[in-house]
Amino acid sequence: MKSFEFFAAKDSNDALTLLAQHAANAKVKIIAGGTDLLADLKFAAHGPDVVVDISRADDLKNITITEQGLSIGALVTHTQIMRSPLIRQMFPALVAAAHTIGAVQTRNLGTLGGNLVTAVPSMDSGPTLMALEAMVTIAGNGGRRQVPLSEFFVGPRKTILKPDELLVDIIIPEQNLGKPTHFLKFGLRKGQALALVNVAASVWVDWEKHAFLAPRIALGAVAPKVIRAPQAEAYLEGRTISPEAMAEAGRIAVGDAKPISDFRASAEYRRHLVAVLTKRALESAWALAQTRRLEGSNGKRNA
Amino acid sequence: MVNVTLKVNGETRSASVPPETTLLRLLRDQFNLTGAKLGCDVGDCGACTVIVDSKPVNSCLMLVGQVEGREVLTIEGLANADHLHPLQKLFEHFGSLQCGFCGPGVIISAKALLDENPDPSTEEIRDALGGNLCRCTGYTKMIEAIKGASCILRGEEVPAVKSA
Ligand code: FES
Ligand code: FES
Repeated sequence: MKSFEFFAAKDSNDALTLLAQHAANAKVKIIAGGTDLLADLKFAAHGPDVVVDISRADDLKNITITEQGLSIGALVTHTQIMRSPLIRQMFPALVAAAHTIGAVQTRNLGTLGGNLVTAVPSMDSGPTLMALEAMVTIAGNGGRRQVPLSEFFVGPRKTILKPDELLVDIIIPEQNLGKPTHFLKFGLRKGQALALVNVAASVWVDWEKHAFLAPRIALGAVAPKVIRAPQAEAYLEGRTISPEAMAEAGRIAVGDAKPISDFRASAEYRRHLVAVLTKRALESAWALAQTRRLEGSNGKRNA
Repeated sequence: MVNVTLKVNGETRSASVPPETTLLRLLRDQFNLTGAKLGCDVGDCGACTVIVDSKPVNSCLMLVGQVEGREVLTIEGLANADHLHPLQKLFEHFGSLQCGFCGPGVIISAKALLDENPDPSTEEIRDALGGNLCRCTGYTKMIEAIKGASCILRGEEVPAVKSA
């Protein structure tokens, strides 16, 4: 690894100060869990001049309900997501997604924010959050801004973050708290596999009309960034719930995807996976909606 | 240079090393603790697994500056010359390892699992070993040994082994 200067930030404000000091005249990288960054730096021809460590910024490690919704700090690890009683109750899909990332050791180090900032198209954190219309909070020295996660990603390994900015938290908006959601990943092995395709679907249900409300479908590894499937969503909106409708939505989602062929799978195979996984994710989200209705729980936290 | 002080296997240790040094290199090159192995150096193989503040992690993916003040347990901290940890005893008993390169990482992962979950199912053991690649064995005898060690640690008898 090329040498660099190392600074440990005490908290997020300290991190912003360090970024302000160095980002203008040096190449700066932020290290959180390090699972992606260090693996990259060991092979990089040109490393950063400065590394700012935020792994001790405890103010970015909270999982809380705010008036905006469910806020997950950028430094929350995948293990923390899997163990959070709040997330387990509201969003088993986020737990499932976290569980498919790496292995125990990397889940203990790796953070949700890091997974998003790395912006690999096959990331497993992205689809569920996109299907829940998550927002992200970005802090810079000029203040804070919030953008939808869908606008945070620019392309493979590219986000809108500026060199002196920090991802602070990820917010699942209040209106989607407890929304029945399901995540599915298809990899070539059970453990430590990158997704050939991953899919998340979230649905509300109009129980009187037995119809889908606000169906949201997000697809990973089939485009330069995690994408929504707008045509499939439009098809399902207000439509009577049936196995045929969900299968058709899967077929339509194929048209929303733009997969490539690589050494892991062909584009054709990925298109097939989009249809199958979308259908199954919808079926499971619908099943969860029914279970919650029977249990009389809305998936929200009982105060 | 970065000055780092941390606890390793219960002892306070310090070093002054370049900031790009990983925890793994620190342990091996500065502290002469060569139990944790350098396999892939990118977080895939788990040969470098150690426990930091009660959690198993890949020591090849932590910078020294990130472990300042933390508590690290390596395979060397599990036993001494005349006293083996039940996991080690049973790995020996079951012949769970072949070349042994993956062993320290596997045993540390298993120890972290049993610390949290004293009676894991086979599925839970497999999940806990998902980040430890073994090129020699088929994991079966490791899983038997981990189950056996969990019995000993719970104060129960080790059930009779199905012989192959
Ligand atoms: S050497 Fe650290 S995971 Fe392989
Ligand atoms: S015993 Fe050789 S790699 Fe596991």
